[in-house]
Amino acid sequence: MARRSPVKVIGSRLVQALPVILLATFMVFALLKLVPGDIAVTLAGDNATDARITEIRQLYGLDRPFLVQYGAWLGHVAQGDLSQSLLTGEKVAVSIGRAFPNTLLIVVIALLLALVTGIPMGVLAAIKPNGWVDKLISMIASLGVAVPGFWLAMILVAEFSLKLNWLPATGAKSFSAAPIEAIRHALLPGIAIAAYGMAEVARQLRGALLEVLSSQYVRTLHAKGLSMSRILWQHGLKNVSVNLLTIISLLVNRMLAATVVIEAVFAIPGLGSLIVRGAIQRDFPIVQGVVFTMVVVVIAVNLITDLLCAAVDPRIEQ
Amino acid sequence: MTMTTRREAMALISGALASTTLGGRAFAEGAPKKGGTLRISAPANPSSLDPATGGAGSDHAFLFTMYDTLTEWEFDTLKPKPGLAESWKFTDPTTLVLNIRSGVSFHDGTPLDAEAVKFNLDRNRSDAKSNIKADLLSVEAVEVTGPQQVTLKLKTPDTALPGILSDRAGMMVSPTALKAAEGGVVTRKPVGAGAYAFVSWADGEKIVVKRNEKYWKPDRPYPDGIEISIIPELTTGARSVSAGQNDLIYQLPPRQKAIIERAPSVKVVHGPTLYVLQIFLNWAKPPFDNVKIRQALNFAIDRESFVKAALAGLAEPAAMNLPKAHWAYDAEVAKLYPYDPDRARKLLAEAGFKEGTPIELGGYPDQDSVQRQEILIEQLRKAGIGVRFVNAPVAEASAAFFGAEKKGAGLLSAWTGRPDPSLTYSLMFTKDAYYNAGRAPVPSELEAAIKASRASEDIEIRRKAFSTVQRLVMENAFVAPLAFQFELVAMNKKVQGYRPNLLGKPKYDDVWLEN
Repeated sequence: MARRSPVKVIGSRLVQALPVILLATFMVFALLKLVPGDIAVTLAGDNATDARITEIRQLYGLDRPFLVQYGAWLGHVAQGDLSQSLLTGEKVAVSIGRAFPNTLLIVVIALLLALVTGIPMGVLAAIKPNGWVDKLISMIASLGVAVPGFWLAMILVAEFSLKLNWLPATGAKSFSAAPIEAIRHALLPGIAIAAYGMAEVARQLRGALLEVLSSQYVRTLHAKGLSMSRILWQHGLKNVSVNLLTIISLLVNRMLAATVVIEAVFAIPGLGSLIVRGAIQRDFPIVQGVVFTMVVVVIAVNLITDLLCAAVDPRIEQ
Repeated sequence: MTMTTRREAMALISGALASTTLGGRAFAEGAPKKGGTLRISAPANPSSLDPATGGAGSDHAFLFTMYDTLTEWEFDTLKPKPGLAESWKFTDPTTLVLNIRSGVSFHDGTPLDAEAVKFNLDRNRSDAKSNIKADLLSVEAVEVTGPQQVTLKLKTPDTALPGILSDRAGMMVSPTALKAAEGGVVTRKPVGAGAYAFVSWADGEKIVVKRNEKYWKPDRPYPDGIEISIIPELTTGARSVSAGQNDLIYQLPPRQKAIIERAPSVKVVHGPTLYVLQIFLNWAKPPFDNVKIRQALNFAIDRESFVKAALAGLAEPAAMNLPKAHWAYDAEVAKLYPYDPDRARKLLAEAGFKEGTPIELGGYPDQDSVQRQEILIEQLRKAGIGVRFVNAPVAEASAAFFGAEKKGAGLLSAWTGRPDPSLTYSLMFTKDAYYNAGRAPVPSELEAAIKASRASEDIEIRRKAFSTVQRLVMENAFVAPLAFQFELVAMNKKVQGYRPNLLGKPKYDDVWLEN
């Protein structure tokens, strides 16, 4: 079968992404409008009167039909404008532009940590399945999956910030302005999220490696007299690289979601904090903007993963 | 204010001082000095930095740094005192003359004169975007009667105005900035005449202000600037103070006190505030349309125990909407509802209320709220009142209860104080008030008494009017007040001169930093 050019693939994938974006933002918009709680009341202030609330609804166009409001938002987005916070008037794009790097840094650190620890664990476990090393690793991995990130986060802060005073307990610094400080701030939250990732990488990699190592061609390699380590590093890992890429893409998406809680624990002004604030205050342009950004990121990650998988394994048809 | 309540107020304040971990000493150490940056952890992003368009009570902690008000209040009693207006006088019941301090200018250099004050007051009472039109409803016209004199012509006598002008309505914004601003609002570019000038605001992250070098109060402010980090998770905010990343955190829940006091670098102060935890009632529908059931609810609550169990003792049991320290407090009204479950049962029987019939109340799902609910459920059960809490986030639960849906018979929430008590009462206990969930009528004497409380400038007459107001509200049991939560502020020991205030919204007037 002839392979399609990557450009065409990307193009068709982007077209497919459109309905996903539409559906996701529409559903979130609908949810925000369906749940009780009204930003007009918040906007009207502490000394609200019914008349003032009605006035605010008109002033901000909140009295228009639901679909019209969604359409208006969509219209702005089509023109590259994520509109602005109803409450504070800050451009949503500005808020996201400031928050996203903070979140991204945590996710990148968490992902690196998860891979650096998870891959050796997975390989070690797969070399002698059911040996004591494997059992120990699987125990650690189970712990990593079971321990809630926010709990681990608080333990980390208590130990490394409050007791030892090695790392800051809260906040974030801009990576472009002060990279070392920024990493110091992102390290504890990164570790808190990485624990789950490490476990996931180790378990999945072990499973995939075991399958590869039990296949016929590996038996042939053994028969040819290749050493275990050569089989493992040269053939085994190469064959599980597609699994690994898939795990990574799933992890990135999952870690993005995990930042919502972790950012609250560390008071990091990232995408997670932003969407929580937006949702609590029913400030829907913020929520919509963050959802839109997240959807785009997830789609992009999936697309890149697919392209990489195809590059690594020619058998994969896009 | 009588001597007794004055003394009580002082006792409360000094009690608050004595209970800092350092004792009173911390406040006596050394002379104030200039310099340093005060770093604060704040629980919420401001809704706006324009005083006229903002909405949240939590905004004041930011606004007070940048905007000065026409009047100010005494920290311990909330009695109005001169601010940007160096004096004021009711020349007749419907004419209020404000004399504006000379030589004050806004951060952008615009002089703060009578024209500027008129511009602000007119905007506050009539601009479409203004949220505080209701505060200035009694004002008919604002006239400039001298270069530094403004005269307010009133539709009805309104002696609450001096108090009201210590709040949003009295925050003066530079007219130059307002005229230049897009849409006529300075949400994101505030220009006031306060002790600090605005530098930057990153939503949900940080607000920075720097010292106003031309500030009119001598030697103030002391710090070079203030950096306010927005940390909604209070446990996290408290950690940022114990770890030394921030200097001060306010609005801590009582349960945090014991934890944060363990940090050797931190001291804690607390003091009474107007912030009252209470059960709002909808008296337009069963079961609370029956006054006996509302009274029974009030008899069934053991407020002393509630304060001990739910608030670690860091609160004052509330018998009405004003605490002991307030100038309009009435000790007689406070005696109306002693804890008396038998009396409650009797009233329920008289009302024909079947014991244990479940009553649905709204509430919030956070840890502190749920704990309060558990204690209340247990207390009320002893008096034969079965309540069930349906919890939802603040915005949702409030809208469901006060808005069109009219969900639930009551709402366990809180009322933040207002500088003048007449606002508290008119916003909750008049027929069409938003916080009168059922929009049900109240006795005409009550509406009249609320009006009367604004008719005289004489504080004794006003106090009498408020006694009537409070008595009528509590006799009718339109609300079940629980406790006035103390302001709980934790700060690094190098922070000096911080005083809690009765409004419960922090002001940093005399704060300075030790090296």
